[in-house]
Amino acid sequence: MEIKGSVALVTGGGNGIGEAVAKQFAARGARVAVVDLVQKNLDRVVKDIQVAGGEAVGIQANVTSEADTARFIQGTLAAFGQLNIAVSCAGIIRDGTMLTPDKETGKVARKMTLDQWQAVIETNLTGTFLTLRDAAEAMVNGGWDGLLVPISSVNKVGQVGQLNYSSAKVADALMPKILVGEFLMRGIRNIRCVAIAPGYTATPMLTGMNQDALKAILQDVHLGRLVAPEEIASLIAHCAENEAINATTLEITGGLCYPKGIAK
Amino acid sequence: MGGFRYNDTAFSLAPRGDCWDLLRSLPGGESAVAGTGLFRGLDGGQAEARARDLVRFLFPVGTRIVGPDVSHPLRVGDLRIIGPDVAHPAFTHWNKDTVSFPREL
Repeated sequence: MEIKGSVALVTGGGNGIGEAVAKQFAARGARVAVVDLVQKNLDRVVKDIQVAGGEAVGIQANVTSEADTARFIQGTLAAFGQLNIAVSCAGIIRDGTMLTPDKETGKVARKMTLDQWQAVIETNLTGTFLTLRDAAEAMVNGGWDGLLVPISSVNKVGQVGQLNYSSAKVADALMPKILVGEFLMRGIRNIRCVAIAPGYTATPMLTGMNQDALKAILQDVHLGRLVAPEEIASLIAHCAENEAINATTLEITGGLCYPKGIAK
Repeated sequence: MGGFRYNDTAFSLAPRGDCWDLLRSLPGGESAVAGTGLFRGLDGGQAEARARDLVRFLFPVGTRIVGPDVSHPLRVGDLRIIGPDVAHPAFTHWNKDTVSFPREL
């Protein structure tokens, strides 16, 4: 697929990886629908794309809402008349172990709340499902070549303290195999699906954390630094251009290893 | 070129090459870019018609009617729904039509 002239939709496009993806596609000549929950972030990203000479529209929406998902797909079509690439970057974390015993009594003092569980599942899994489902519907009905990109995580392997997040991200990583299989079964040949599983990435969430903790994290990264959001955006752009990449999940971690050097 | 209002917000279109930028007015005379590089090749009138259609998706307004639902968990988003209190001793659950209901209680 040629990026120049295509139409890309990026959820969570107001910051972090989503912002980098939106800007990279715009810089390469795509028309971009930037979707985010926070209007001021949308305003900033669309302004930046304008200054850089790109084409974009900002759509404030909540990816967990079916009505909002339908609306931002319709808005994309109203602005640009087609849809080719959908990247589902919207995501949140609400970390904590499922059970936390009291150190003195050994009895459970705290549990992961249902809100902690559901908020992450709804945004990171249901939001991705709704975005990809409605984007694919538009691509099938419009007859446009398409690429669906769920954003998984290297923590799909199971990260302690992230039962909610890892559960959602392993499900996101499964989507390409299931969806492309379904597309083949149903005779849908114009849409590919590739998931991206980033490692530790230089988003505000990580760069703003305790610097000693960050240093400890980087000891396990062969690259010796956080992955830049722009590097992830480059990989997604490559996936758009290389049609042989399909039905798989690609990791981009800088060589993240478990302690003692086994690659994750 | 001139602008238009949708709900409580003023919008305007500014030409940019053979495209249009859609601007949204903010309090204090500022403006934000709602869209850039839109409606390639369209003249001002056509672009405004497309922009009026587009802003309905970007900045939707609407009303959701929430009717009596006695099994509802009493919250819709941030709204607390004050519905009939079926547990109140004075609440009468009317489950008979006017024909079968006795004339004298």
